[in-house]
Amino acid sequence: MSEVIESKILRHRIENIGSLPTVPDTLRKLSRIMEKPNVSLTEIAGFVQSDPALTFRILKMVNSAVYGFPGRIASVSHAIMLLGLNVVKGLLLGVSVFELMQKAMTGLYEHSMGCAAAARIIAQKKGLREPEEAYVAGLIHDIGKVVMALEFTKAYEGALAFAETEHISIMQAEKKFFADNHAPLGGVLSERWRFPKKLTEAIQYHHQPRSAVLFPLETAIVHLADILTKARGLGFSGDQIVPIVDDAAFDRLELSEEDIIDVFQELEGSIEATQEVLQQ
Amino acid sequence: MIKVTSDKLQPGMRLAKPVMNKAGMALLGEGTELTETWIARIQDMGIEGAIYVEGKLEMEVPINEMLAALEKRFPSAHGNPRMEMIKRAAEKHIRKLYE
Repeated sequence: MSEVIESKILRHRIENIGSLPTVPDTLRKLSRIMEKPNVSLTEIAGFVQSDPALTFRILKMVNSAVYGFPGRIASVSHAIMLLGLNVVKGLLLGVSVFELMQKAMTGLYEHSMGCAAAARIIAQKKGLREPEEAYVAGLIHDIGKVVMALEFTKAYEGALAFAETEHISIMQAEKKFFADNHAPLGGVLSERWRFPKKLTEAIQYHHQPRSAVLFPLETAIVHLADILTKARGLGFSGDQIVPIVDDAAFDRLELSEEDIIDVFQELEGSIEATQEVLQQ
Repeated sequence: MIKVTSDKLQPGMRLAKPVMNKAGMALLGEGTELTETWIARIQDMGIEGAIYVEGKLEMEVPINEMLAALEKRFPSAHGNPRMEMIKRAAEKHIRKLYE
């Protein structure tokens, strides 16, 4: 029996993401900027513009027809004005970790883009004022997995294989190797990067939406978006079977069968959006 | 919606999504019917990405395989009305993709 990696070690590594040698340069720099209190628009825009590949991807992302502003956003500052700093920070994080995501788990990026699109349309149906925030929550809800796979590669591979042979969820399989699972660890990262509590809670509790006390609606949205993306079989998140939806979260959203079909329809669009963003 | 490269464009095709340049600015809007002139300009601009035109997508995986995979993903649906509803919606959606 392999040893379980302690919570203290896990959290220590995660909290030092800005100085880990295994973390690619862009993400490390981005992480350091996001950790600062009161980071300015100019600082973020300046950072992005210094990296042409990043600029390309972030503009593709905001302009992709699926995202809702087809062909109208020409600069990073413009994007920040329209979408707000937190959404742009989240999108930046999403585009900077996609290589890592593919390395951690083939298909995790498709899963994340799908979950983002699903969360946004559910948020729209529920009349949330900023559906882009739900999009971002969906995009980075599995960020904990990325860092776990990057920093504890062997153990994470073990967890993936264990989930497959035992026919259990990746979250259950993680328990055999790690003291904490990807959801609370993702929450630690979200706090570290100074994302609003709304986003942190949705990431932290996406597998146990009942624990969300401040933002139960947003958390329920990400919880269901994750399950619907798995139901459609889009991408791969480590789960071979669709996890059971939380009764209370599902009932809170009051979606009809037609609403759910609309979400699946939106997922088809996300497949193309993913390919567009990854073109370069 | 079908995805094609610029050399496969034919007059009479209708854009299902705007054609964008590298900076993400729209050059031609959604719904534009392509003429020989437009096609030549798109090709001159060196648009490398995919262009989306209206039409029915060819599904790569046969429907039986898609439905069998769906069945396998959902051992959890049995006796759980919420999961049954999600599964039913997914099945209807998949069937619609093949119509």
